Amino acid sequence: MRTNKITSDQLRGHSDTMILRLLSEADHYGYEIVKLIAERSGGDYELKEATMYSSVRRLEADGDIEWYWGDESQGGRRKYFRITDKGKATYSSNKSNWEYTKRILDKLL
Amino acid sequence: MNEKLSHYLNDVFAPYDGVKSVADLKADLLSDLQERYRELKAEGKDDETAFQMTIDSIGDIEETVQEVADLSHSLERRAVIHFSASDLQGSDFAGVIAHKRNFKASALRGSDFSGADLTGSAFVGSDVREANFDGANLTDCKLSIIDLRDSSFRQSILIRTNISKSDLTGTKFIDVRFTDVTLSMTDLRKTVMENCVFNGVDFNYSDLRGMCFDGHTFIDATFDKVALNDASFKDATLKNVSFRATHVLTNKYYRAIKTICFDGAMMDKLTYAALKGMKADLSKVTVI
Repeated sequence: MRTNKITSDQLRGHSDTMILRLLSEADHYGYEIVKLIAERSGGDYELKEATMYSSVRRLEADGDIEWYWGDESQGGRRKYFRITDKGKATYSSNKSNWEYTKRILDKLL
Repeated sequence: MNEKLSHYLNDVFAPYDGVKSVADLKADLLSDLQERYRELKAEGKDDETAFQMTIDSIGDIEETVQEVADLSHSLERRAVIHFSASDLQGSDFAGVIAHKRNFKASALRGSDFSGADLTGSAFVGSDVREANFDGANLTDCKLSIIDLRDSSFRQSILIRTNISKSDLTGTKFIDVRFTDVTLSMTDLRKTVMENCVFNGVDFNYSDLRGMCFDGHTFIDATFDKVALNDASFKDATLKNVSFRATHVLTNKYYRAIKTICFDGAMMDKLTYAALKGMKADLSKVTVI
């Protein structure tokens, strides 16, 4: 893993938005979320289970996402997470905030 | 191997047994970890590597568990009744569930808290003489700076409980497992302790002169700057126990260490070596 401590902290600050992005495409359960984030980052970033669940609880408490039981044919039942309308709005606003920050930092750094 | 994973999680989540939201988190996490483990095995990893990688993927779970537990505590807190500064002598609280209640500066002499779940409650500055806490859950309770004389703690659950600076004369701790409990700055000379296990307990600055800890088990306990003259640890088990003096230059602590009886005790190599360095009498000790 290339990322050092500082970049990994900076990335972790965006966990909520990363999760909202994934859920805006499709419903997922916990392990799928961490796996997709590892895959999409090309293995450069690994979202830890603990960080993911801490984000998920926060998003749930804020009403950005909700969960339902999946109906797995085999194995234990899984909790699927789904984005709410409020969550979609949060995602757009976080994303535009980030683009704004990025524009400024690109000029300054 | 699934058993090994759930074993691992049981350990991590043990302090939060009974908190529903935390139990949910544990179940979610376990099914994630099992799936990851299966995938790593399918990729051809050996058991040990797959297990280690699975555990590593969890990250800093303690913090998340704490957040989740705090969240549900704050929901339970809605129904808080303040018992502060009340006269509740001889009250019957047996078997009640009272999380994060406030019993500060109250007269609770002779009250019955047996079997009660008092997780996170505070009793600071109260008179709790002769109270009965048998079988009570006192996880995260603040029992510091209070009068606990002649109270009883038989089979109570003491996890991260703070009992520092309290009066424990005649207090009975029987069949109690102390986990990460703070017992610092207490006078335990007239405290009754039978068949107790001390895991990560802090006795710093306490007065343990003449104390009998025979047959008790101590894991990760600290006895730093403690008065230990003539204390007895006969047939006790000591693992990773720290004995340190206040000032390196005073001989008082070292003289006290020499008066402790460790006959028949079992201890790990580190504890043994440290005590040996302080010239304790370890002639009848078994190193485990």
